[in-house]
Amino acid sequence: MSPEIQLAGIHPRSERLIELTRSYERAKASWSQVEVQLGQETREVIKLQESLGFKHFSDGSLDWQDQLRPVTRSLKGVESGTRYSRWFDTNTFYQKPIIVGKISAGDIDPKNFLRAELLTEKRGRKVTLPGPYTFSQLSENKHYKNYADLLFDIAIAELEIIRRLKNEGVTLFQLSEPCLVYQPYRESFRDHSEVEQALGAIRSLVREKPGDFLVQTYFGDAAPLLPDLLDLPVFGVGIDLFETDVSSLSEQEKTSKALVLGVVDSRESFVENPNWIAATARKFSEKVDARDLVFASNSDLKFVPQGIANQKLEALSKASELFEESR
Amino acid sequence: MPKLFPVQEIGSLAKPKWRTKGLRQQLSSQDLSEAEEWATKLGIQDFHDRAKSIFKTGDDKMRVKAILELSTLYGLRLFEIAGVDNEGVGGEQQRVEMYEHVIKAVQGMNLLGHVHSFDNKYFNKGVAESKISRKHPIYVPEFLDVKKYAHRDVKVPITGPYTLVDWSFSGYYIQKQHASSPKTRRIEAKREFLLDIVEQVIRPEIRDLVDAGASWIQIDEPAVTTHPEPQEMELFVEAWNETVKGFNCKFSDHTCYPSEIGYKVLSEYAPKLDKCDQLALEFANRDTSRLGVDKDSREGYGDLKHFVDAGFSGEFGLGVAHVHDFTGNVSSGAGKSVGRDFIESPELVRDRLLFATRIVGDPAKIWANPDCGLRTRTWDVAFAKLANVTHGAELARETYQ
Repeated sequence: MSPEIQLAGIHPRSERLIELTRSYERAKASWSQVEVQLGQETREVIKLQESLGFKHFSDGSLDWQDQLRPVTRSLKGVESGTRYSRWFDTNTFYQKPIIVGKISAGDIDPKNFLRAELLTEKRGRKVTLPGPYTFSQLSENKHYKNYADLLFDIAIAELEIIRRLKNEGVTLFQLSEPCLVYQPYRESFRDHSEVEQALGAIRSLVREKPGDFLVQTYFGDAAPLLPDLLDLPVFGVGIDLFETDVSSLSEQEKTSKALVLGVVDSRESFVENPNWIAATARKFSEKVDARDLVFASNSDLKFVPQGIANQKLEALSKASELFEESR
Repeated sequence: MPKLFPVQEIGSLAKPKWRTKGLRQQLSSQDLSEAEEWATKLGIQDFHDRAKSIFKTGDDKMRVKAILELSTLYGLRLFEIAGVDNEGVGGEQQRVEMYEHVIKAVQGMNLLGHVHSFDNKYFNKGVAESKISRKHPIYVPEFLDVKKYAHRDVKVPITGPYTLVDWSFSGYYIQKQHASSPKTRRIEAKREFLLDIVEQVIRPEIRDLVDAGASWIQIDEPAVTTHPEPQEMELFVEAWNETVKGFNCKFSDHTCYPSEIGYKVLSEYAPKLDKCDQLALEFANRDTSRLGVDKDSREGYGDLKHFVDAGFSGEFGLGVAHVHDFTGNVSSGAGKSVGRDFIESPELVRDRLLFATRIVGDPAKIWANPDCGLRTRTWDVAFAKLANVTHGAELARETYQ
């Protein structure tokens, strides 16, 4: 069976939607007009996934203003709206969550996370959420004296969100944890005890149905952490092949997990050649014998214009076929 | 004794509707009604004559030129009436946006489409498709209009080479690299692209600006602290020093919205920046909205100390006004929150300036400015904010007189 292809986060908006949201900001368009366009484009993103043979469908999260906001707005003890921070080393920003009290689940509206009504019930549904470690790292803590308490309270609150989203038919959750591998906002890189805490929080979050989760890393080298990640009780682990030093992986690592290969670069406009993608995946599978491979972009495709993002997905689809043919 | 706490603009103002529409098509008198209203507020005496000639001309180029000139005049007057001491180039009215404006003037680069920056804000991202060079002057026509109308000191903000490269896809430059590691290919491509931008685009532009009479150039480098690794920071310093080499002109850096450690990292390299007389930095965004000159109330300004400790001896352009959406609480006396805007009170601006002075040690080294350009705010809000910055600077000045 050829490797599955998945969206790995927020898909870019089209020029039309961009112009409409700008008009909305200038009070020249109504929010209902924006919503109509959002709905239409969400259908198009879903259709594209259908045509490319996806098994797990995402709605593209076109209405997400940043990668944290729907979670931020669903939690008690968290404020936002006063401060913008840079998203890693990109020219994009997010509203920084400010932790001002004990964190717990607040009003969770599934509509803030996905357009379930537009996704078919016949296929799996995928939602991408920030993992508890990354959410805690990208927040400003003004309440907790003990970091572990903060981390585990986020995990508990996110579990509530996940339960609600399961009721909406979500079958696969990607927990994005770039902070495990890249911390340009910190003076010293996390040590292994912090990794243990982070993995502990992930374990507590996935405990009810581990098979429904992927843990995705990006923007940094996952190689030193891969054995720990593969020990997690989850369906799969994702790595950024543009940052990960594959040559440093120990020979013939074997895992029962799925490996999500971030094999198209969401930060470059150049559309990767399907032959190159397939060859890169083959080289990787010579090093790591994974139960399943999933092809994806290394992170959210929102960093490139929509036309290029769609071409990158098509390249992944073609590469998946080429990979299978050569097996 | 020079004026303490002078006020400067830092970047762009929003483009009025008539300016945006008038670049695309002929305007009607209805379109210019907003301009007429502001003409009264800003004391633009010859508005009706200018409007007549805009309506009369059938030549698109002439109309565009007249509209750009008029909007620059409006921006300059808005700054002057708000009390700003250095009025820049009148809110960058002649530029589409800080990145796209430059890229359109670069041979070898192509704009690919918009990507998300935050909320409903986007930028049109370019790719290098071949070796690059400057097609035509980028900022000089605007500067010539500014020179004609400015009543106060001016400076020319330009987008820095590091940021231009960092915000672009490197296309041609990355595809010609041969290193096996993607990471090595990326950094080698970046260096080559960056040095080409400096030599082929930015230095020729600075030469033209200086020849035209520019005496202060603000180099905007918001991207610099996004890659805090030493290799990247050294690359930034190399590009900066190459950029300013040989020019007899005041230079300042504007860097905003860094990561949590961004300013600490920049502070280590700032003393290595040749001819960098001022660092204009963003602080209000990360500060509290309550009065006070204590450390807790002014938590957003703590990073200033890194620059002082690292030995940067120039001036600081202190961000004392928030420029983005704000939906938080405002304490009594610190200002007011109106819709998505926060209008800082003069007292809050004063406290921010006084707290910063304690850290820097010398009030003569501190300028007051918004965190960044006010382009996301309406002109009414921008004016209210700037007027309060000016008033706050006066209050701070009184403390020392």
